[in-house]
Formats: sequence, C-alpha cells, structure tokens
Amino acid sequence: MQFIVEDAETHLNIKVTEPRIDAAIATLFKDKLREIVVKNRKPVHLDMALVDFMDSSGLGAMIAVRKSLPENLALVLCALTPNVERVFRLTRMDSVFDIRPHPAQKEPL
Amino acid sequence: MTPTRRSDPGLGNRLSAQTQPMFHRILNAHPITVRDTLQDVRHRFRSEVSEDTLGRLELVLAEVMNNVAEHAPICDDPQLMGAGRLPVIHLSIVRHNSGLTCALTDDGVSLPEECLLPRSLPPLLPDDLPEGGFGWFLIQDLTQALCYYREGSRNYLAFCIPFAQS
Repeated sequence: MQFIVEDAETHLNIKVTEPRIDAAIATLFKDKLREIVVKNRKPVHLDMALVDFMDSSGLGAMIAVRKSLPENLALVLCALTPNVERVFRLTRMDSVFDIRPHPAQKEPL
Repeated sequence: MTPTRRSDPGLGNRLSAQTQPMFHRILNAHPITVRDTLQDVRHRFRSEVSEDTLGRLELVLAEVMNNVAEHAPICDDPQLMGAGRLPVIHLSIVRHNSGLTCALTDDGVSLPEECLLPRSLPPLLPDDLPEGGFGWFLIQDLTQALCYYREGSRNYLAFCIPFAQS
C-alpha cells in the first residue's frame, strides 16, 4: 500500500494510490494512513482521485483515521469519485468530513 | 445462424425479447475473491447499464458478500487454522427491464434478524463517530424488494437494484 506524501508546510498532502478501499485492505489502509497522520501532526488534505471504489469497511477506516487526528487538525477529502462520494453522502458522513471537489493547491502563508 | 432462421422474424424477435445478460458465479467468501468477482460483474454489465447503476450494484454486492466473509464460522481447532472451510456463495444477477435482479445464497451463519428490520444510520456523535454499522443501512437504502430466508444450512437473499434511483 502506497501513499504519496507531500509536506506543504501548512498541511500535509496525501495522495491515495489504491484504486479500491474495501474489506480486503481496510485494516491495512487504516493502520498505514493513521501512522502517517499521527506522526506529522498537521492538517491533512487527502487526494482521493484515484480511488474508484469504497465500501463500508473503507468508510470505517476513513472514520478511524479522522478520529485519530486531534480535534483541531482538519482532514480534508479532495476529488472524490462518484462511487466514493455516494458512500459518504448516503451515510451522512459528508456532514462530518470536509469534502472538496479538487485537490487543494498549496495555500499561501 | 442460417439465412433461413434469420428470416423467421417471429423466432428472432422472441429470442431477443427473452435474452437478457446474466452473471452467475460460485465463489469462496473471502475478501480477495469477492473483489475479483465484483470486477468481473462490472466487466459483464458495463456496456449494458449506466455507471451509476453499476456503482450501486457493486456497493451492495460488496456489502452482502463481505458480510458473509466477515461472519464466517470461526474454526477453533489450531490444527485447521487457515485451512478452515470458507462459506461458499452462489451469486446470480439478471438484467430486467427496470433493474438488475440479484440472488445470493451462502452456507455461512444465519443472518441476524435485525439486519433486515428497517434500519437507520448509527448515531453520528461528533465526539465518538461510529466506525461500523453502515453496511446493512446501505444495502437497504440501495435495493428494492429485499427478501431473505434460511433453508437448511443456507441463507437465501434476493433484491433488485433499480436503474433509476427513487
């Protein structure tokens, strides 16, 4: 499992390269991503453009990662594909996560 | 097909009206096998139905089949670790005029009754977000005519994924 991590000073840009976040890899996904976000202690922008499919176990993994971040650090989800967006919307988790259409550019200081 | 048969409009029309794309597979209830099967389902129907319908079908099938895998009977015998028998799923999908009808049977544990009772989402407490409990909500939300029974050692589950979401 690979994440492309880029430190943008104000936050961390993480690109998910797995095409599917499903029951086969949800636990590994959660553990790896949690390790990255906990270690860096910065707001996270997660680029989901390459993820074609996510099921409820994948959603559970995303929620676990969200909960592992301290309250004041944001987890922004960028560029959700339609199948992934559907799961967030139907479960009302789109009200919990900060969801944005495109990968955020580096923010000016 | 011979020119003679082709020239018989009655037979030709009847055949085309009755022939609908299908998918049938027998698979072990394991997350990797489920993933492979879902990709084959997608391949089978992608020229037949919209991407939106395909996405809803794939999500529901993933939830149902991964539930079977997740709740596979636990084998306590250390000698059989890893060699314990996985439940076997039979999956059938047929395209109809209004949607994709799915039938699944498996020889895993019996489905708890509460899965099929009308469900709402687990409470979204900001301080303690639920990490599970979404699967059957999604299944119920995305399917029509969902029905279940158990006969002998098998579960039988059937439902329809409508082309247009109500």
